[in-house]
Amino acid sequence: MTNPILEIRNLKKNQGDVNILKDISFSVNKGEIVTIIGSSGSGKSTLLRSINLLERPTSGEIYFKGQNILDKKFNVNKYRTKLGMVFQSFNLFDNMNVLENVVVAQTTALKRSMEEARKIAKLNLEKVGLIQHIDKKPKQLSGGQKQRVAIARAVSMNPDVLLFDEPTSALDPEMVGDVLKTMNDLAKTGLTMIIVTHEMQFAKDISDRVLFMDKGLIAESGSSEDIFKRPKEKRTKEFLSNFLK
Amino acid sequence: MKKLIIFILSLTIFFSITSILTFAKSDVYKVGMEAGYPPFNWTQKTKKNGAVLIEGSDQYANGYDVQIAKKVAKEMNKKLVVVKIKWDGLIPALTSGKIDAIVAGMSPTKERRDTIDFSNSYYTSQIVIVVNKNGKFANAKSIQDFKNAKITAQQGTFHYNLISQMNGVKKQPAMGDFSGMRVATQSNTIDGYIGERPEGLTAQVNDPKLKMITFSKTNGFKTKADEVMTSIGVLKGNQDLSIINDVLSKISDKKRVQLMDKMTSLQNHPEKADGFWQQVAMIIKANGTYFVAGAGVTLFISIIGTIIGTIIGLLIGVFKTAPKSSNKYLSIINAIFNAILNIYVEIFRGTPMIVQAMIIYYGSAQFLGISIDKLWAALFIVSINTGAYMTEIVRGGIFAVDKGQFEAAAALGMNHNQAMMKVILPQTIRNILPAAGNEFVINIKDTSVLNVISVSELFFAGNTIAQQNYQYFQTFTIISVIYFVLTFTVTRILRFVEKKLDTVKVTTGANQMQVKLEVEK
Repeated sequence: MTNPILEIRNLKKNQGDVNILKDISFSVNKGEIVTIIGSSGSGKSTLLRSINLLERPTSGEIYFKGQNILDKKFNVNKYRTKLGMVFQSFNLFDNMNVLENVVVAQTTALKRSMEEARKIAKLNLEKVGLIQHIDKKPKQLSGGQKQRVAIARAVSMNPDVLLFDEPTSALDPEMVGDVLKTMNDLAKTGLTMIIVTHEMQFAKDISDRVLFMDKGLIAESGSSEDIFKRPKEKRTKEFLSNFLK
Repeated sequence: MKKLIIFILSLTIFFSITSILTFAKSDVYKVGMEAGYPPFNWTQKTKKNGAVLIEGSDQYANGYDVQIAKKVAKEMNKKLVVVKIKWDGLIPALTSGKIDAIVAGMSPTKERRDTIDFSNSYYTSQIVIVVNKNGKFANAKSIQDFKNAKITAQQGTFHYNLISQMNGVKKQPAMGDFSGMRVATQSNTIDGYIGERPEGLTAQVNDPKLKMITFSKTNGFKTKADEVMTSIGVLKGNQDLSIINDVLSKISDKKRVQLMDKMTSLQNHPEKADGFWQQVAMIIKANGTYFVAGAGVTLFISIIGTIIGTIIGLLIGVFKTAPKSSNKYLSIINAIFNAILNIYVEIFRGTPMIVQAMIIYYGSAQFLGISIDKLWAALFIVSINTGAYMTEIVRGGIFAVDKGQFEAAAALGMNHNQAMMKVILPQTIRNILPAAGNEFVINIKDTSVLNVISVSELFFAGNTIAQQNYQYFQTFTIISVIYFVLTFTVTRILRFVEKKLDTVKVTTGANQMQVKLEVEK
């Protein structure tokens, strides 16, 4: 058996009296594309945000390359440089232009030289098709362009894993395609990706494995074929019937 | 922790800069007076007729008090320096060691004797009432002829207590200085004020609208001997007192009357001009440089005060929003420091700046033994006052930055400092810019309260000019125009800067799509 790059054991998260995550266990292998689907409020985003510790889990264990990241001595900032995150609302730095957005974390968190950081940034902005916009401020970009900058920003850190938190939910329909195409291109490079999404066709096409979440639990998991063509659980069937004809 | 050290360090540097000590030189005799109570003391522009330079200005003081003080200083072989101080500030200035003696037409009342020592009398006076020449009470003969008259006197003098001897008068709140009471009487806001003969005489000579009413012994006020005396005030137990009394004993009554008459006749009469605008033009012509200097000081204090205050606000705001330390001892130190900062903010926001000015300027000298230069004290007061307000504004400015900005920085592995410096603070500064500009405009106006510690800002300059020319309405019209021009200009400049910062064109997504399609063709 291969060593998983990420392993989550008995993860729980309470917010006040509400149990958002009840008992989550799963692992992700290197190069695997895992999508998490499920209705709103099922805990998908909280799970993703727990993985890079934007949310502190109430209990449970998370191992990254065999190291327990919840250990007090664990260097969280260093860990986060290895985990790219793409947000639903882009979260580009409003005070910087496109190039600076992609450069800043490289020079601060990774201590790369400005020259090297710019080179890497331009390379990745070229890949997402935004090289002609590097001097613009986020305000001047469309939603789809912003999200592609955000992806270039995450990729420029050379992460081991990329997390996507509903990357197309805040976009106008005609811009969704550009972002999904960018993600598809990334998937082909062999990057490990965990994607929370409501784009079922996309999930079906891209995933090696699909997790269906319901009420804070993983209700069903399996290959894309298993989940979309032969769902076993009643709740999975109900959920999918709303999306797929 | 590094942040904490930097913060404490910068505060210490700030404090040590602002409290540069000024030691009085021993070959100088510093005498405090209002320099606005003729003929005892007044301000003039030249040193003619034996006037003495006023400390920290290019103006001169003259009058009966100045001439007496000169004789005293000469006997001591010291150089006389006049320090211009408001009436209420005279005793605090003496007890805090900012001056060596008070020679300001002050009477040695029992209450004052509790705090300071007095010399023998150097002038004995008579109590009068100054009224409007065209008013109802212009022909009064007795202090009982003032039924229903609105009467006041100077705050902190025994004159004010004398009002109760007048039956049926409407006692008005006490006023700060004689110039204010003269204006009030001219404009019929009050019917008259109680004063002493020399001052009344001067008022009558300089302003044809005013009339001094004197009383015979039976019709006048009943006063104690020490109340109509004027004496030199010194610190309790001061050794100079015997020298002073020795000097005073050599001046005969006849010489005193001669000197007082000379001083009364000496005062500069305002150049007469007809019409309001001609008078305004004449005041500007005669005092242009003083107005400019006053406006300069006002601008200087408000600019520097606002900048330092904003820096204080930024430091505290950043400190307050920093994540809690996991180290037990550090988090305790943090909590204590936080409590101190909260107290600072609450106290300085909860008390008027005029009160803070009095406490800091006089209190620091009296209880801490450090004498702060007036301008430094002014900068210090405005800075920490602005700092207290800016702290809350900065906190709000940090919270107004979208939470997603923090999260994105954290998710990229940037630590708190990096996120603050690169992402959050630049956006915070943009957020607080309008509020900081607003503080600046407020400071331009509020520095006027610093006249209580005699900082020569615009209001103080205006008061000084008006005390010389007796044209209050005209002078303060000019002052108000200058204030307005300052605040209006500053507001416009700030708007322009804000607009400049926001020049990035905001376009809709739809337009962007079209642009993009063209590019891709």
